[in-house]
Amino acid sequence: MVIYRDEYRLYNFGPGHPFSPVRLEMLTSLLQALGVWKEPLAPREATREEVLSVHSERLVRRVEAASRGERVPDLEHYGLGTGDTPVFPGMDRAARILVGGTLEGARRILAGEKRVLQLGGGLHHAQYDRSSGFCVYNDLSVAIRHLTRAGLRVAYLDIDVHHGDGVQWIHYEEEEVLTLSLHESGRYLFPGTGHVHEIGRGEGVGRKLNLPLEPFTEDESYLEAFEALVPWALGAFRPDVLVVQAGADAHFLDPLADLLLTTRAYARIFPLILDYAEAYAGGRVLFTLGGGYSLDATVRVWALLYHVFHGLPLPERLPEGWLREWEGRLGQPLTPTLHDPHAPYPEIPRRQEIEKRNRLTLERLMELLRSHLVH
Amino acid sequence: MLIQDVMRFPVVTVEPGVTLEEAYRLLLERGIRHLPVMEEGRLVGIITDRDIRLATSHLNPRGPCPGCTRVAEVMTQEVVTAHPLDPVEEAARVMRERKIGSLPVLEDGALVGIVTGIDLLDALLKLTGVTEPSGRLEVRLPDRVGELARLTGFLAGRGINIHSLLSYPEDKEVVRAVVRVNTLETHLLAEGLRQEGFEVLWPPKKPW
Ligand SMILES: [Zn+2]
Repeated sequence: MVIYRDEYRLYNFGPGHPFSPVRLEMLTSLLQALGVWKEPLAPREATREEVLSVHSERLVRRVEAASRGERVPDLEHYGLGTGDTPVFPGMDRAARILVGGTLEGARRILAGEKRVLQLGGGLHHAQYDRSSGFCVYNDLSVAIRHLTRAGLRVAYLDIDVHHGDGVQWIHYEEEEVLTLSLHESGRYLFPGTGHVHEIGRGEGVGRKLNLPLEPFTEDESYLEAFEALVPWALGAFRPDVLVVQAGADAHFLDPLADLLLTTRAYARIFPLILDYAEAYAGGRVLFTLGGGYSLDATVRVWALLYHVFHGLPLPERLPEGWLREWEGRLGQPLTPTLHDPHAPYPEIPRRQEIEKRNRLTLERLMELLRSHLVH
Repeated sequence: MLIQDVMRFPVVTVEPGVTLEEAYRLLLERGIRHLPVMEEGRLVGIITDRDIRLATSHLNPRGPCPGCTRVAEVMTQEVVTAHPLDPVEEAARVMRERKIGSLPVLEDGALVGIVTGIDLLDALLKLTGVTEPSGRLEVRLPDRVGELARLTGFLAGRGINIHSLLSYPEDKEVVRAVVRVNTLETHLLAEGLRQEGFEVLWPPKKPW
């Protein structure tokens, strides 16, 4: 089941902002041009009370006021009105519509649906008391809380290039939520967190996993770590459902980060996630989108996700008419095939060192978690 | 950042007549390693877990007798102290030079706090800005008037909030500035800085 409504595109920080609604417009028009688009389920927007299941009243009050165009003097303390997360009219409702989509996904899972793809959301940086990094409200955590309140154990898997800090901190002390984030190391990259030693607190100890990868990590090293870590953690935790943040900004074309995944890695990752959901979570999996700031790459990665999700064969070339229209609108050439060309970037001289360090990080993480996760 | 911003209080203390056994138990219970020794409201010494272990070691010809040795016999008497208004970097320098792990903090002769190496590490974390969601820029600047101002002016012009700014000398002519900024878009900033003639070390320029 796919969840989407055109009003997702109201979540718009203005022209020039990387978190652009154009991505969704391009994606849905591509799927239509490919002839695979099926009418999605349109979710209702989340209520204020639903947002308050993971956010503070005072944050919500400020988002509401700023959405109405009121001047809020302490807005920056709440992560709003910044260069990354500026305020815009109607922001509260726009964010609640995205939350509503992911929450609808959770409801559908509880109603017996196995696979849900929410074509939006994934706002993993928003924290209890603070908006952050393009993320006003945390749709993922609202959905996760809905699931845990219904008694489910949730494994959250985050493949966005940035650390899923908001989701991690919101559920940091919860035993019934496993968070697992693979990301570019926070030594340099926003938000600066996601170290292996962040493993949870109180009841949540041993239930939060972070694999910080070296800048310039490529497909092979990423997949090696992914295939070692994810089934290991899921096998030990045995969740009832998998919630996946499928950000596409680990792609090598992404302008905000430095991992070097190609579409071929994603073509391996997405089927693996479906396999893992079958093996460890009764087949239940809820996908959201997330980061992804190269229009060219992001749209192809998410089109790939859509095809894998539906078990459709991958197209090779993208439709000519669609390419012509978007190259015209964007004024830039686009990759004409779903996959990246072979060897799309120059050889990375430090490759071996990077692979070695990633292996070491993985070992440290598994060593740290072994006694907590495996009984 | 001043000592009063990072020191801990109230302070766990002992009297000079207490036995090493009692003092050691106190250290264990409170999970600490330093005990200022107080006599009639006056600081007369300091004793650490290391002092007690050395004094009661089997290798020590006069030890071990944790139950009969008094704190007064083992404590360090000339205590190096700090004032609440001392800057943290001064405390760090004193502790490093004297090779000591803590400084009792005195104000008008009264013990008002204690600062340890761990507190200074906390201060360092705060100073580097890593406790806020942020990205990191590293820039090489000529060591001359106005260069940092040029850098921060550029960031201000882009509406970027700076969580922290550290700079340190690389050599005689060059300083390195490490800036933690409240944005995901450090690549874009780096690009803009390069166009303005700055030498940006991180994030790197991608050759594609
Ligand atoms: Zn991201």
